[in-house]
Amino acid sequence: MSGGFPEALQFSFAERVNQLVDWLVLNYGDHLRSVSDQLLQLLVSLENLLRLLPWWALLLLVGLLAWHASRSVLRSVAMVTLLALIGVLGLWDKLLQTLALVLVSTGLCVLVGVPLGILLASRPLARRLLMPVLDVMQTLPAFVYLIPVLMLFGLGKVPAVFATLIYALPPLVRLTDLGLRQIDPSLLQAAHGLGASRWQRLQRIALPLALPSIMAGLNQSVMMALSMVVVASMIGARGLGEDVLAGIQTLNVGQGVEAGLAIVALAMVIDRISQAYGQVKR
Amino acid sequence: MKKIPTLLASLLLAAGLASTDSAASAERTTPIHFGAIGWESGALTTEILRLIVERGYGYPTDTLPGSTVSMEVALARNDLQVIAEEWAGRSPAWVKAEQAGQVFALGDTVKHAEEGWWVPAYVIEGDPSRNLKALAPDLRSVDDLKRYPQVFRDPESPAKGRFLNSPSGWTSETVNSQKLKAYGLNDSYSNFRSGSGAALDAEIGSAIRRGQPVLFYYWNPTPLMGRYKLIRLQEPPFNAQAWATLTDASNPNPQGSQSLPAKLSIGVSKAFHEGYPDLVAVFEKVDLPIDRLNRALAEMSEKRTPPNKAALTFLRDNPDVWKAWLPAEVAAKVEGSL
Repeated sequence: MSGGFPEALQFSFAERVNQLVDWLVLNYGDHLRSVSDQLLQLLVSLENLLRLLPWWALLLLVGLLAWHASRSVLRSVAMVTLLALIGVLGLWDKLLQTLALVLVSTGLCVLVGVPLGILLASRPLARRLLMPVLDVMQTLPAFVYLIPVLMLFGLGKVPAVFATLIYALPPLVRLTDLGLRQIDPSLLQAAHGLGASRWQRLQRIALPLALPSIMAGLNQSVMMALSMVVVASMIGARGLGEDVLAGIQTLNVGQGVEAGLAIVALAMVIDRISQAYGQVKR
Repeated sequence: MKKIPTLLASLLLAAGLASTDSAASAERTTPIHFGAIGWESGALTTEILRLIVERGYGYPTDTLPGSTVSMEVALARNDLQVIAEEWAGRSPAWVKAEQAGQVFALGDTVKHAEEGWWVPAYVIEGDPSRNLKALAPDLRSVDDLKRYPQVFRDPESPAKGRFLNSPSGWTSETVNSQKLKAYGLNDSYSNFRSGSGAALDAEIGSAIRRGQPVLFYYWNPTPLMGRYKLIRLQEPPFNAQAWATLTDASNPNPQGSQSLPAKLSIGVSKAFHEGYPDLVAVFEKVDLPIDRLNRALAEMSEKRTPPNKAALTFLRDNPDVWKAWLPAEVAAKVEGSL
C-alpha cells in the first residue's frame, strides 16, 4: 500500500494522537464537561426563549426586522412567507433549534472573528502566521476534529457549536481584514493629523468604512454555519439537519428535500436581512 | 522519414492488440467488488471473505466505500457484488431490492447476534480498582430504570435521565423510541439520538474511560462488547405481536418486547449469484462464532490493527471455523497461503 515511497522515510504519528486524546479524556474530560455544560445552558435557554414566543410573534419580529433593514414591504412579506412555509411543513420546532444553534455560533463568530480580522489587518506578521491556520480551518474535514471534541465536550449541541465556529469563522476574518486594508490610507492619516487616537480612528473611520465588507463576511459565516447544520446533526445536535440525515439514511428523499429546503429558506431569510443591514449603513 | 509512419502503424497495431487482449481477459480479471463497510465487524468479515475468495479461488477482489444505503443501492445495480455483513430485512432499500430479485441474502453468518440496552458493569457493581461506587446497585431490567433517572442525568434537561438512542434514520431508532414509551420511561428519560454511529461510539467510549454512568442502545458483534464489561438490561421475552407495535412508529400504545433476534447475512447481487455458484455455496455456509468474533474485534480496535491484518490473524487462529465452510482442496490452498 505504501506505493513507491521508501519505507525507511515513512513515519506515522497516528498512535501519538490517539494517546494524546486518551490522556486528555482521562485527565481533563470531567473538567471540560462542566465547561461545556455552561455553554449548553446558554444554548438551551435561548432555545427555550424562542419556544416561549408564539409562532406569530416570531414571524412578526422577522417581518419588522426585514422592514427595518430594507424599508421594503414586499421584501418583508416575502421573508415572513418563507419562514411560515417552514412551519407549514411541520418543522417549526426543529427550525427553532437550528436557529438557536446558528445564532449562538454566529454570535461567537463575531466576538472572535472581527477582532482577529482587525489584528490581521494591522499586523503583517499576524497575517502571515494566521492565514495558514484559516486554510486548515476551512479545509480540514469536520469529522477529524469533531470526534475528539465530542469525546471531550460531550455529545450534542456544544461540539456542534465548536465545529460550526471552526468552519464559519474564516470568511469573517478574511473579509474584515480585506475591508480594513482597502481603506484609503490618506483618510486615516488625515484623522491622525487631526489628533484622533488609534481607537478613535478604528472606531470612527476604519470600521464604518469597512462595514460593507464585514457584513459580507458575516453573511458568509451565517451561510456556512447553516451548511454545517447537517454535519452538526451527525453528532447529536437536533434540528433541521436531523431530518435531512434521517431522510438520506432511510432513502426517504421527500423528507430530506423538505428539511433541506427549510434550511435554504432559513438561510435566505437571514441572508437578505443581514445583507440589507450591510447596505443601509454604507 | 519513411520510418515514422511504420513506427506509428506498428504502435497503433500494438495498442490495438493490447486492447483486444485486455478485453478478452476482462471477464476473468474484473475484480469482485466488496462494499467497504465502515463498522468493525463488517470490515473484518469483508476482509475474511476476501482472503478466502482470493487465496482459495484465485478471483481478484476490490472494495468500494459508501454508506449503508448507498451500498445497498449499488448492490441492487451490480456496481457492488458483495456486502459481507448485511442486516437483511432492516432497511427499506434492501427489502425493495430483495423483492425485485436484484439482491440475495446468503447464509446466517453470525448466530446469536443481539441488540438491546446496555450499561457498563461498574454502574451496577462498582469498580473498587478505579474507585467507582455502584450508582445503581439494583438495576437489572428496563423497569428498574424508573428509579435511576438521576444517575444517567441529561445535561440538556437536568430533570431527566439520558438514553442514548441510535442515530435517527436507523430502524432501531424507531424501535427504541417505541420501547421508551412501552416501558413508561418517556417522562423520566430524554430520547437522545446520537446522530451517527461514530458519535455514539465516541460518547460511550469517553464515558467508560471516565468511569461515568451511561445508558445506551447497542448491538453485537462489536468491539465494544469484547472490550468492556457491559451488562444488558433485561427486557420482556420476544413476542411477535408486541414487536410489530415497536417497529411501527405511529403506534400510540406499543408493547414491550425484546428485539427480534438479528440475522446477519452476506448480501450479493443477482449477477454475482448467477456468475459465481462456487462462492455462493461457500457464503451460505459462513458461520462466525460470536464470542470469538467479539474477541477478535476487541483486539483489532484496541491495537488498531488494520482489518486485513486482523483477518489474517483470525484465519490463522481459528482454522476449525473456516475449514468447515470450504471444500477440502480449497481449504488446503487457503491454509498453505497463510
